[in-house]
Order: sequence, then C-alpha cells, then structure tokens
Amino acid sequence: MTTPASAPRLARSATQPESFRADGDLLMAGQPAVPFVEIEALRVKEFIPAAKEALTDLIAEQGQSKLIRPVFNWAGRNSLFPLHWGLACCAIEFAAAFGARWDAERFGVVPRSSPRQCDLMIVNGTVTWKVAHKLITLYEQMPEPKWVIAMGNCATGGGPFRTAYSVVPGVDKLVPVDVYIAGCPPRPEAMLDGILRLETLIRERKE
Amino acid sequence: MQTDELERTLRPSLGDRITSVEAFPDTAGRVRFRREAALDVFRSVHALGFHHLSTVGGIDWVDHREVFYILWSDDTRQYVVLSTDVPASDAHVESATPVWPSANWHERETWELVDITFDHHPDLRHLLTPDGYAFHPLLRSFKLHEPEELEVKARHV
Ligand code: SF4
Repeated sequence: MTTPASAPRLARSATQPESFRADGDLLMAGQPAVPFVEIEALRVKEFIPAAKEALTDLIAEQGQSKLIRPVFNWAGRNSLFPLHWGLACCAIEFAAAFGARWDAERFGVVPRSSPRQCDLMIVNGTVTWKVAHKLITLYEQMPEPKWVIAMGNCATGGGPFRTAYSVVPGVDKLVPVDVYIAGCPPRPEAMLDGILRLETLIRERKE
Repeated sequence: MQTDELERTLRPSLGDRITSVEAFPDTAGRVRFRREAALDVFRSVHALGFHHLSTVGGIDWVDHREVFYILWSDDTRQYVVLSTDVPASDAHVESATPVWPSANWHERETWELVDITFDHHPDLRHLLTPDGYAFHPLLRSFKLHEPEELEVKARHV
C-alpha cells in the first residue's frame, strides 16, 4: 500500500494496539489477531477510497472470512437495533429496560420504529393468530442478518393462554427464534441478559 | 324512566312485536321482542332518546341463542336492554347498523364468537379471529383444543 505524504495517513500496525486487546473484541479464540486499521480524520470523499484500499489489501493478505466476519460480528453485536413495538404486558418491561434505571442503550441497543432499520425482533407479548401474519410480514421486512428474541412465556410457548382459541402457542411456529427469555413478565434484567446472550451467539457466528 | 312507563310508551306503537318489558337491575328495563320486528323496535327505542349503543352481545343457551343490545340515553341518564331469542338452527337477526352505526363492530364480534348472523350488515367480516377461522369460541359446544390441533385449523395466514 502506498501512502503519498500529502494524503491523509492510513497506518496499519502489525501488532495490536493495547486498547483493542483490552477490549478483546476482535480477538477470536484460535484465530490470528486481526490487524488494526487506524484511520485518521478524513473527509467523506477521501474516506471511502482509502478504506477500500486498506480493506482490499487486508483481504488479499488474510482471506475474506477471517477478516470481514469478526469485524461484522463485532459491529453487529454492539449495535443491535430491535423493532420498537409491543404486543402485550411484556412490552411494559421492554419499555422499562430502555428507561434511565436499566438503560439498555449502554449495550448499543436502540429501538427503531421501522423494520427496515432493525436487525433484532423482540417479540414481547402474546401473539394471536390474527396478528400472526403481520408479525411474519414485519420479520420479512427486516434486512439480513436478523435475529429474534422470544420474550416472556407467551412468546415462548403460549404462556397462560396456551390452550386459548386465539393464541399462537409459541412464536417459533412463525419465525426462527434465537433466544428465549422465561418469565411472566421477565424483568428488564432478564431481557438485558437475553440480549447479552444473543451477543454471545453473534460473536460466534461463522458463515 | 320506570319500567312500566317504558312499557306504556312502547306498547301502543309496537303491539305484540314486543313480548314483554321486565325490570332489570340498574336499567330502565329489559325489552324482549320478536326478531322479525327488530328494526321497528330499534327505531322506536332510538326515538325515545337512547342514542348510544353501548354493546351488542350473544348468549348461547344451548337450545336457543339470545342477542342483546345495551343502550344509553343521555337525556334520562339510563340504560335499557333489548333482547331477542333466535333458534340455534337458524340464528340470524336484522342488523342494527341503520339505526346505530356503532353496531357494526359489535355485530361482527357476535357473529364470529357466538355464530349469530346479522342480515344486511354492511361488512360482516372476522374482527378478532383470523379470516377463515373455523370456530365460534363462545359457543358451549366449543372445547378447548390442544394447541397443535387448533393450529392446523386456525392457520389460514
Ligand atoms: S408472558 Fe406474562 S407478562 Fe408477558 S405477555 Fe404473556 S401474560 Fe403478559
């Protein structure tokens, strides 16, 4: 990689800087450490070609999956955007988790109102057959990669309404679920724990 | 308005189209009518000032079904109950939507839960259950199903 002296500097250090090591985020067990790309203040127009060049370089050296996957996993799990909706009483706990007391945003979890901006669907409540195909539509509108958390007993298996005439006995009948959270309702801590477990899943994501 | 006053007002115009007017707790009374005369009864009661239709519902009495209407009058600040019997084999009654437009959704609900058809209803579709849902869950013959069994029947999405 050539860097003209006048151009903004893209430094690539062969060794990991301490800050990254302490975080441990990019270090995968059994994998070589990912070289660190340091990008200094750039204008937008300069940034894209510069980043492209740096990445092409790294991919040629490392192979695509080894480099891109950890970076994507790291970015993905630190900015999970759940769909901002509520189906039943569990939605109250969902809302509480984003309040000042539990502050889910410290994990990078920001509820978004459009499924197009989301990569996580938290099904927080009783799903009825009437709303089932709306739920599937919302899920299909979310861009890949996407995850689903079934929050509460209702979403997990129908809960107290399991044999009712109108309730879907578990949202996994409709969409693939990654993490189940038990409780009626689960406390906000439990919801945060579910999100952290999902982050572990994403960290280990391979393909 | 007392129950006897209600009967004195309604009886001359409706005659034997109403079968009885009974006292009913916390209301002006309960008017039982023949279902063929439904629209006449609705118009007469509406003319008395009962402009607000609070609810429409159905009861499955096994051998027959009952449709009831609960109405509120802002003038006298009173409720009144209208009710009629329909045979289970031929459960239908005239829709109240021409008189009280708010009957629309109540009748859709009664239709899908208690299986009572409302003639000349503008839009008789499922309200709470999915389209094509095969059950009438508030009938006494309805059994709670195993979720899997229900799913097969309910899944029309
Ligand atoms: S699990 Fe409990 S709290 Fe949550 S939606 Fe169902 S009934 Fe409500």
